[in-house]
Amino acid sequence: MRNKEKIKSAVRSGYARIAKQKGVCCAPECSCSEDLARSISRKIGYSEEEMRSVPEGANLGLGCGNPVAIAELKPGETVLDLGSGAGFDCFLAARRVGETGKVIGVDMTPEMLERARQNARKVGFKNVEFRLGEIENLPVADSSVDVVISNCVINLSPDKKRVFKEAFRVLKPGGRLMISDIVLLKELPGFIKKSVEAYVGCLSGAIMKEEYIKIIKAAGFKRVKIVEETFFPMDCIANDPTAKAIVEDLKIPLKELKGIESSVLSIKVKAVKLTG
Amino acid sequence: MLDERLLKILACPLCKESVEFKEGKLVCTKCGRRYPVKDGIPIMLIEEAELPEEKGEKK
Repeated sequence: MRNKEKIKSAVRSGYARIAKQKGVCCAPECSCSEDLARSISRKIGYSEEEMRSVPEGANLGLGCGNPVAIAELKPGETVLDLGSGAGFDCFLAARRVGETGKVIGVDMTPEMLERARQNARKVGFKNVEFRLGEIENLPVADSSVDVVISNCVINLSPDKKRVFKEAFRVLKPGGRLMISDIVLLKELPGFIKKSVEAYVGCLSGAIMKEEYIKIIKAAGFKRVKIVEETFFPMDCIANDPTAKAIVEDLKIPLKELKGIESSVLSIKVKAVKLTG
Repeated sequence: MLDERLLKILACPLCKESVEFKEGKLVCTKCGRRYPVKDGIPIMLIEEAELPEEKGEKK
């Protein structure tokens, strides 16, 4: 339990740091910021049009991409984004569900929510709201949302079982779960698993693919399906503290880093909460 | 300030019961925990909520 709290606080402070920076890079000497976020976002499947449609600064280039989920939203739906960060996916979702729909973003990092709120104000989105909260203890009523989305966040939770149970609870019967996340094909070397930086960077918290799917099913979801899976490009991971930790602090040779690359998958999963 | 429809689906993160907007705070209708609202964002963290018996004692 104490360990879980420790992880949570490391994740929170890691992302608070990222939120406070102008762009996405962690190294002060790096000047790529917004451009890098865009190039990463393009790579993970968001269109130029989508990137243009959100306020500047909402796209931190931190996700593994959830454009499929966004595309399948329908006008009028209520959407919950787990780990909404600076609000990129929330704003895209808000455009899809339109004025009759609603989007709620939940994030546990106050600095991220502050950015999201500023971003919402910039463009005057009326159908997006944010709550400071934990995805393990969602501040959302039972059976109240149509779609739960989440983009590369659940791997960061020290209690993934609980996150999926919570997602199941808040979905209306017939509601959908559409998430993207990082999973593993092979266990990571021990020294990476122990690295807090690698945890914050979406790596050490990731679990084996089969285990991940098993947890979703155990939470009650049906028709659990991996709709897409791709090897996670290391330069996307390099966008946050991970690569720095791995390459510099841990002094891993490039060859070994390539080995890690072939163990890390980005997956998109769909599932439903059946009626009755 | 808070959207009516969204207030309806907001719940106490601990007991998952509905909350009411009272004196600038969101109050759980079951356990009475009071969640602050900062800059329009509800702070729905269990550890940051005021317990009902603390009311008036602190500050």
